[in-house]
Amino acid sequence: MRWRFWQSKQRDSDLEDEIAFDLAADAEERIRSGIPREEAESASRRDFGNVLRLEEDVREVWGWTALDRLGQDLRYGWRTLRNNPLFAAMAVLSLALGIGANTAIYSFMDAVMLRDLPVRHPGELVILNWHAKKFPPVAYSSNGSTYDEPGGGITSPDFPWPAYELFRNHNTLFSALSAFKDAGQLNLVARGQAEVRSIELVSGNFFNCLGIVPVAGRLIADSDNLAGASQVAVLSYNYWRERFAGDLAALGQSLRINNLAFTIIGIAPPGFFGVRPGSAPVIYVPIANRPSLARNYGTEDDTMFVDPHFYWVDIMGRLRPGVTLARAEAELAPQFHQFALASVTKNEERAVLPALWLEEGGSGGDSLRRQYSKPLFVLMTMVAFILAIACANIANLLLARATARRREMAVRLSLGASRLRVLRQLLTESLMLALPGGIIGLAVAVAGIRFLIWLLTGNNPADLHLHVVLDWRILVFTIAVALVTGILFGLAPAIQAMRVDITPALKETRASTPHKRGRRIGLSQFLVVAQIALSLLLVLGSAIFVRTLANLHSVEIGFNQENLLTFSLDTSQAGYKDMALTTLYARMYERFRALPGVRAAAVTDMPLLFDWNSGTGVRLPGAPKCEGDGCPHTSLISVGPTFFETMQIPISLGRPIDSRDADGAPLAAVVNEVFAKRYFPNRNPIGRRFGLGSSKGDLTIVGVAKNARYSSLKREIPPVVYFAYLQNIVNGPPGATFFILRTAGNPLALSETVRKTVHEAAPAVPVTNMMTQVQRIDSTIVQERTFADLCTAFAVFALMIACIGLYGTMAYTVARRTNEIGIRVALGAERRRIIWMVLREVLALAAAGLAVGLICAWSAMSAIKSFVFGMKVADPPTILLAAGILVAALLLAGFAPAARASRIDPLTALRHE
Amino acid sequence: MTDQNSKEKIELLQGTLDMLILRTLQWGPQHGHGIGQAIRQSSADLLKVERGSLYPALHRLEARGLISSEWKSSNLNRRAKYYRLTAAGKEQLITEQSKWKLLVRAIARVMRPARQS
Repeated sequence: MRWRFWQSKQRDSDLEDEIAFDLAADAEERIRSGIPREEAESASRRDFGNVLRLEEDVREVWGWTALDRLGQDLRYGWRTLRNNPLFAAMAVLSLALGIGANTAIYSFMDAVMLRDLPVRHPGELVILNWHAKKFPPVAYSSNGSTYDEPGGGITSPDFPWPAYELFRNHNTLFSALSAFKDAGQLNLVARGQAEVRSIELVSGNFFNCLGIVPVAGRLIADSDNLAGASQVAVLSYNYWRERFAGDLAALGQSLRINNLAFTIIGIAPPGFFGVRPGSAPVIYVPIANRPSLARNYGTEDDTMFVDPHFYWVDIMGRLRPGVTLARAEAELAPQFHQFALASVTKNEERAVLPALWLEEGGSGGDSLRRQYSKPLFVLMTMVAFILAIACANIANLLLARATARRREMAVRLSLGASRLRVLRQLLTESLMLALPGGIIGLAVAVAGIRFLIWLLTGNNPADLHLHVVLDWRILVFTIAVALVTGILFGLAPAIQAMRVDITPALKETRASTPHKRGRRIGLSQFLVVAQIALSLLLVLGSAIFVRTLANLHSVEIGFNQENLLTFSLDTSQAGYKDMALTTLYARMYERFRALPGVRAAAVTDMPLLFDWNSGTGVRLPGAPKCEGDGCPHTSLISVGPTFFETMQIPISLGRPIDSRDADGAPLAAVVNEVFAKRYFPNRNPIGRRFGLGSSKGDLTIVGVAKNARYSSLKREIPPVVYFAYLQNIVNGPPGATFFILRTAGNPLALSETVRKTVHEAAPAVPVTNMMTQVQRIDSTIVQERTFADLCTAFAVFALMIACIGLYGTMAYTVARRTNEIGIRVALGAERRRIIWMVLREVLALAAAGLAVGLICAWSAMSAIKSFVFGMKVADPPTILLAAGILVAALLLAGFAPAARASRIDPLTALRHE
Repeated sequence: MTDQNSKEKIELLQGTLDMLILRTLQWGPQHGHGIGQAIRQSSADLLKVERGSLYPALHRLEARGLISSEWKSSNLNRRAKYYRLTAAGKEQLITEQSKWKLLVRAIARVMRPARQS
C-alpha cells in the first residue's frame, strides 16, 4: 500500500513535469517567433486547455488508481455523513433492522416451508392426501390430523392401511411408496435412563424410498415389517451421539420403548430429521409395532392393518422418472374412490366420500407449515413494510442531500471532474449507507432467527427440531434492495442536477432555491406520506394484537390459576397394570399431599386449558336415539377426589367428586352449568341420570360446578362432565395421568422435590410435562403473545423510522426556508405563528398518510381476522388509538424543526448567503 | 496558432490519434510536445491535436505496452519525457495502417456516387 502510494506520488509529479515541459516548449516556440515572453507563456497556457481535467483524464488511463479514488470517495463520503450524523446513523440503523428482520423471517420461512428435505432427489417425492366437504362418515374413526381448507371442507394425510396396500401393490407410478406414522412421545429407556421422546413408525421401504444411507449398521427393511415383526430400532444420529456418545457399540444393544425391548440395528445419517420439518424423532421402528406401542390398547389396534374405516397412516411416494404429479393423481384418484366406495356399508356414507389429491413432498410433511404459514405470512408482510419504510428514509435522505448539493456538483464539474466521477462519488455514498446497514443487518438477522425460534417454539417439547440457517440469498437480496434504493434516489436527482447548466447552478444561493418548488420536494413529501401510511398499518396491527392478548388475559377462567404445579406420570407404560396402577396413583397422591408446601393435590387425566379435548355423545333419559350432527354432546374430564378443592372451582349445587366415588360405587358425575342448563333446563339436575357414548350404565349427577374454561381460552365453554377417574367409565385405564398440586409459594420451587418423591416410589416412572398452570395457559396463547410482542416491536420501530423521515424532511424544509422565515420574523410574525406554520405542514403530511393508511388497512383487515379474539378487527377505539399515537409521534418529530424555525434570528437569516 | 487558424483545422477521427502517434514515433523517440507538433506539421497544419487528448492517449498506449518512455534532458535545458515505439507498437502500427487503408477505400467507394451526382 505504502509503495503504491509512493509510486502514485511519483507518477503525479512526473505528469506535472511532462505538462510543464510541454508548456515551456510551446512558449519557447512563440518567443522564437517574436512574441514577448510573458505574452507567450500566457498564450501557451490558454491554448493548452484545462490542466486539471487533463491530469484527471490521464490518471483515469492509469487505471489502478481506482483504489485510490475509492479511498478518496470513502473519505469524502464519510465527511458528508458525519455532517449529519443523526440522520445517517438512523438511516443505517433503520436499514439494518429492515434487512435483519427480513432475513430472519425469510430464513425461518425457508426452514419451515420451502427447503427440501436432506434426502436423495427430493423433487420426486409426493405426499398423499384426501379432501372432502366434511369429515367423511365412511371413516369410522381416525388418528392423525385433519385441517380445514381455506375454501371450506377438510383435508387430511391419513389413510386406512388397506388403501396404502392397494396403492403400493397396483402401481406403475412410484418407484417406492412408503408408509409412516408419528407414534408421538413414548416412554423410552436406554442405558438405564427413562425419558419421554418422540418415536416414528415406518414401513420397510421408508428409508429406501427417501434414499437414506445409514452411518452404521443397517436401516429398517421390508423383512422387519412381516408378521411377528422383529423389534428393531434405528437411532437418529443426534440421539446416538446424545445417549451413546456416538459409540458404535450401541449396535446390537437393546432399549425399551413403552416397556417393549427393541434391538438397535443402525444409525441414521446426520442431518436427517425424518419427514416433518419441526419434529425430529429420535428412534425409528417398524410400523408393524404400532399396536403393541399403543398408549391405550383399543379395539382399533387389533384391526388397524385390515380395517378400511380407520384412517391413520401417512403415505409418501417417490415418483418414477418421467411420471408427473398430475398423472399420478389422475391414475390414483379413481382407485381410491373405488376403495372408499367399496368400504361403504350404509347408504348415508355414500354422500361424502374422501377424494385423493397429491402434494409435492420434497419439503416434507406439512403440519408445521399449516400451523405457521399464516402467521409467518403476516410477519413477512410486516417486515417487508419495515424495509420499505427504511428504504424510503434512505431515499429521502439522499434526495434532500442531492438537492442541497446541486451547487457542490456544479462546482466540482466546473473544476474539471468528469460526470462519471461525480456519479461514482454518489454511488460510493449510497454504498456507505447500504453496506453498514447490511453488516449490522446480518447481526440482527442472526439474533432475530434465535429470537424467532425461541418465540415460536419455546414452549414445545424437547424433540422439536427446526434447522434454521441464515438465508444468504435473502440477505444479499435485501441489501441489494437497499442499494438500488440508494442509487435510484441518490443518482436520479444528481443526474438531473448535472444536466442543468453549470453557471446558473453556481449562481444559485440557498436563498434562491426555496422559490422553486420543484418535483423533488413533492417526491420527498410523497415518501413521507407513504411512510406514515405504512406505519399506521403496523401501529394498528400492533394495537389489535395487543388488545387481543389483553382480551385473552382477561378471560374469566373459572378457577384460580396461580400457584398450581402440573405434571404427569407415565405409569402405565412402565409396566404398571390395573390394580398396581391404581395403588401407585393412590400412594403417590397421598405422598404429594403430605409434601411440605403443598396445600392440596388432585389427579386428573388432563389439566384444564391444555388444548386437549375429549368428548362423547350424551344419552338423555327418555330422549330418542340420536345419530348425526346436533346430537347432545359433552366434553369430558376424569378427576380424582379433591380436584375441585385443588383447582378452586366452586360447586354451586350438590357435592364434588370425592373419595366415595370409588370403583364399584354408583357412577357419579359433576356437570358444569352449561351442561345443566342445556340438558336439564329449569330442573334441579341433582340426582338425574344420563349415559355417555357407548358406555354401559348411567351416571348420576351428584353436583353442579361453576363454569370453568375447558380446553382453550378462545373457545366457548362447552358442556363438561367431570367423572371419577377411579370409575373408569369411558377410556379404560388412564394413560398419562396428571397430578395437580396447589402450592403455598412458587410452584416450580417444588419440582425437584416432586421428582425425588417419584423416583423413590417408582424409579422407572418418568415425571414429564412439568409446568405451572400459568405456563400451560400461556402456552396455549403463545401465538397471540408472539404476535403482540413482535408487532409492537415492529410498530415502535416503524414509527421511529417514519418520525426520523419526517424530522429530516421538515428540518430540511426549515433550513431551505431560513431566509423566508427570517423575513417573516423581521416583519413581525410571532414565534407561535412560525411554529404553527411548520406544524401545519406536519399535520397535512400526517393527515394524508393516515388517510392512505386507513384505506390500506381496510383491505388488509380480513387477512388478520383469524388472529383476533374478543373484538372486531375494525374496532373504532383501536383505530383512533393507533392514529392518535401516530399523530402524537409525528408532531413530536416535527416540533424540533418547528422550534428551530421559530428561533431563527432575522439578522442572521438575512445575512445567510 | 490563433483562433482564426483553428477554424480551418479539422477534428481528428475517433481512434485515429493512436495510429498517428505510433506513426510519428516510427522515426525515433519524441516527447509529447514534439509529437503534437510533428502531427500538425506533417498534416500541413490541417490537424491539430488537443493536449487534452494527446496525453491521455500517450499514457494509454504506454499502459498497453505499445510505446515506452524514458526521461532525458532536452535542448530546452529541462527534463523531458521521451516516448519510443516498442516491438508490439510496430506490429500494431502495421495492422492499424492496413486497416486504415481498407477503411479509406471503403469509405471512398461509398462516397463516390455522391460525387457523381
